[in-house]
Parts: sequence; structure tokens; C-alpha cells
Amino acid sequence: MFQNRAEALALALPAAVFATVVFLLPVAILLSEGFRAGGAWTLSAYTGFFSETLNRTVFLRSFRLAIEVTAVSAVIGYAAAFAIVNLPANGKGRMVGLVTLPLMISPVARTYAWIVILGRTGIVNQAITGLGFSADPLRLLFTETAVFIGLLQLFLPLMILSLISALENMPKDAIPAARVLGANWFQVFWKVVLPLTREGLVVGGTLVFTGSLTAYITPAVLGGSKVLMLETLMYQQVSVANDFVSASVIAFILIVMSFAANILLKRLATARSRR
Amino acid sequence: MKKALMVSAALAALWPFAASAAERTLTISVYAFAQDDFKTLVYDPFEAQCGCKLVVETGNSVERLAKMEANKANPVVDLAAVSMADALAASRAGLTDKIDTTKLANFDKLYDVAKDPNGDGMSVGYTFYATSIAYRSDKMKIESWADLLKPEYVGHVAFPNVTTNQGPPALYMLGLSLGKDTPDLQGPIAALGEKKDDIVTFYEKSSQLVQLMQQEEIWAAPIGRFSWAGFTKLDLPVAWATPKEGQTGGMNVLVLTKGSKNQDLAMQFMDFWLSTEIQTKLAEKLIDSPANSEVKLSEAAAGNLTYGEETAKSLKLIPSAIALDNRAGWLKTWNEKVGQ
Repeated sequence: MFQNRAEALALALPAAVFATVVFLLPVAILLSEGFRAGGAWTLSAYTGFFSETLNRTVFLRSFRLAIEVTAVSAVIGYAAAFAIVNLPANGKGRMVGLVTLPLMISPVARTYAWIVILGRTGIVNQAITGLGFSADPLRLLFTETAVFIGLLQLFLPLMILSLISALENMPKDAIPAARVLGANWFQVFWKVVLPLTREGLVVGGTLVFTGSLTAYITPAVLGGSKVLMLETLMYQQVSVANDFVSASVIAFILIVMSFAANILLKRLATARSRR
Repeated sequence: MKKALMVSAALAALWPFAASAAERTLTISVYAFAQDDFKTLVYDPFEAQCGCKLVVETGNSVERLAKMEANKANPVVDLAAVSMADALAASRAGLTDKIDTTKLANFDKLYDVAKDPNGDGMSVGYTFYATSIAYRSDKMKIESWADLLKPEYVGHVAFPNVTTNQGPPALYMLGLSLGKDTPDLQGPIAALGEKKDDIVTFYEKSSQLVQLMQQEEIWAAPIGRFSWAGFTKLDLPVAWATPKEGQTGGMNVLVLTKGSKNQDLAMQFMDFWLSTEIQTKLAEKLIDSPANSEVKLSEAAAGNLTYGEETAKSLKLIPSAIALDNRAGWLKTWNEKVGQ
């Protein structure tokens, strides 16, 4: 495509310089804060961070919630994407539009909507009391469940869209062929669909996991202090304690976890396809 | 002749640029709150008066102070509006200059509490606010801050997070009511920690509270007076408590950046902001409670703001030095007792 390697590099240079100056360099400077103490390079900020019970609790809670949201969005995402790709063309277009619609609405507005839905007088509690499951409204807001629901609603469309794309690229006769050969639906999914859509799952999974791990407004509004997460802790360290070193440590942890999730998902998908 | 005309035309075309280059510019750093109203009521009239250009930078205190620190050697901002505690932090970091109050025609009109809030001559208050409890008068009775923790009420209470401006003052008053009055706020934080599962939420944004009150999710919450107007619009009996321990609150102040090249202009602007006319306009719009004691307000505005000398004197404000020196400790204790 290009005359030589130098020409290709020259074309990529402006973008590389721009990304380095406005993104990589500031991030590197920020992250280096966590490795410096009194002018020397050290891991003391990291050991100090993990030595505190609160920080360990918050780290594990954030990690667990991000995994739960990713897993549930994968299950719901496959079902929804399957249904959508099997619709006629115009129906498919409308459904993709519906899935995309929430992405055009601010996460703040979507999060605040959950305050109404999950409130004591919201439709969920009305259904619970109306159907006789409980005499009094349940406290759903400001709980880990509320944060989970908010995050799932926030990032599920990304998983569905990734899986729709992957399912559409799958050979049309793969599923009928497996069925003809005697595979049940579980075997079809496990041995045919999953390996053939692994790229979509890796992309969707990484987006959902990273998004859930780094979202700020949803955990802050639906969980508050009662469900402290890494990003709310980081905000506190900067805005209240003015402790940029701790904030840098948390930022580094979040970045490492995001990269690790991507690598792990790729490995899992690759391992599955080799079997 | 033709050449001369062309040169004249070119100079005429460049004239606006030449004029704007000579124009004085004042850069101010303020809260992002109500900026449309500030533009109409404060910034545009000042520009018309001074014949200068006003550049407005907005953001939260942390961002703005960090920027001032980064530009310490060559300041960009000339004047900043910050909280009392942040003003002291800026002063300790060598970011602000002493204010020559003899250059402020409106200085003597300020309530005493606003004249030199930190006692270092580095700031003047432009607004203050009371913090008390907004509550459903048909569901409960609030006579003391400690009433919030009564078993019959605690399940309907939202308390400000320690990270908010309302958090420490509310904790301070709760501590007074519980007889645990120490600057580290250990007593009230521990008391809240014991009831953390009952309390509906530890709120981050006061804007959430009107919705929570409307949904009957909460019956009571400590709030700043500036948030009160939203509650009065609810079709519910919501009252402003006058607890026996009193009300607390906070104050926002104006500071001058050290090394600013436009300090005279900044002083002019400061005086303009503190004038009776501007303070009245801001108060009537329910934006800021006046720090100028000569401001006379309509009944409607007065009822929704922190207004009057008696109110100003009665507020129990946390001294800035105590707030600054204990902030990190408050957060640590809070996260240990409430956040886990």
C-alpha cells in the first residue's frame, strides 16, 4: 500500500505525536507520582495502600462488581443479540436503534432515573408490595444492588452491539449444520457460537469491565459512601485529602486491571477456540 | 493616492485589533454555579464600567487552586472566589496577597464576620450561608441535631458525606448535640457509623435531596441555605429547623493572586462585587446571601437566604485552620467508620 516503511511511519507520526503529548505524557507523569517518594523510586505508596483494610475492601468490591456486571451483561447480551440478528432487516435496524438510544443520553440522567425507579414509591417497590412479596417498600436505593443495576444498564448496550457485530460475521450455516449433526442448543452455543464470536465478546467484555470499574457518577449517586468504589475513593483523595499520590496509585491500579481484563479475555477466547 | 487609500483602509480594518490589544484584561477564577446570572448581573456591568475585558475561569476549588499553584511563578488568574478554608490553604501555599482594604469603598459595609474571616488579611467574605436541617414537619419534630439519630427518625434521614461542604459543619453540630466536641470529629462520625445501615444515604450532591424528599425516600437532611429554595417548591410541609445548638454554615471569600499584574483592576472588581447594588441583585435572584450589611431584601428573598446581622453573628463556623488541619483525618475516620 505504501512505497516504503518510512512513508507509513511519516503518515502515522502526527497522530502518534498528538496522542503522546496530550494523552500518554500526562498519564505517565500522573502515574509516576505513585512511584516517587522524597525523590527516590519506591513501591511504598502501593504497599501502604494495600496495607489498609478499607482500601483492600474497596478494591475487592470494585473488582467483584465489575466482573459481575460483565458476566451478566454477556449472558443478557448474547440473548438480545441473537434475537436481534434473526429479525427481518427493518426490524433489526429499529432494534439496533433502540439499543443505541441510551448511549445518546447522559449517564447522569440515566443514573438519576434509577433513583425514581428504585425509590420507595417507584415501580419496582410498587410491584413488590402490590404482588404481596413484602408489606413495606424495600430499601433498594443506596445499596450494592442499585449500583449493580445502574452499571448494567449503563454498559449493556456496548456488549449487545459488539455481539451483534460478531454474530453477523458468523457463517450463516454454522448453527443449522451443528443442529443437523445432533448438537443440542447448549452444545451449539458452547462449541460453535462462542468460538466464532469470541472477538465480539472480548471487545464487549473489555468495554463493560473497564467502564464498570472506572464509572464515577453511578456508584456515587446510587451507592454513595455506603458502597465506596475505587473511583469514588480516588475522587475523595484528590478533592478532600489533596493526596495526589494515593490518587495516582488508584489510577494505576485501575489501568492495570483494565489491561489485565483485556489480556485475560483474549487468552480465554483463544484457549477456547484451540480446543 | 490609491496606495495611500489602501494603507488607510488596511489600518482601519486593523483598528479593532489594535484597540483590543490595548484593552486591559482581568482574569477571575470562580465557582461554576449560576454563571449565566453572574454574567448578566456582575460581569457585563463591570466590563461596561471599567472598559476592560473580563476572562472568567470556572471549576471546583481543587482544580482551580491546583492551577493557581501550577502558575505560581507567572500567575494567570488575578482574583479568585473560594471557600474560607481554601483561602487559608492558598495563603499558606503563598498564592495570595494581602488585601489593602482602604481601597475598598464597600469594605466597612460588610458584616464583621466577613471582613477578615481567616484573620490574616488575605481574604474578604462576599457571601455566607447557614447550614441547618430541612425536615418534614408533619412526620417529625427537630429540636436538636441529635434528633436525627432517634430510632424513629434515623431510617428517613440523609446526611451529607464528609467530602461535601456541608459534611464537616453538620458533623460539628451533631458532635455538639452529643456532647462530643473535638476538632477531629471522632465522636459524631462514630455515632453516625453506628447508625450507617439505618441512614438512607450519605449524600454527595444536595441537588439529589429535593427528589429524595419528593419521593418520600427521606424526611430530613442537613442542608445549606442556598439549597433551600428547591424544597419550598415541593407540595409538602417542609420546614427549616432551628435546633437548640444553633446553626452552622460556611463562607465564600475573594482573594488576590500573589504577583498578579492587574491587582488594581482586581481590587476594583472586588469592590464592585461587594457593593450594595450588586449584592442586592445577587440576593434577590437567590444566588448568594449578602455579606454587605446595607442590603435590604424583599420578604421572599430574605426568607430563602441567610440574611441579617443576627443570623450572621449566630452562625457557628468551623475555623479554617481547624478544617484544613483535620480534613485528611476526618476522611480517614469517616471511611473507617462509615465507608466500610
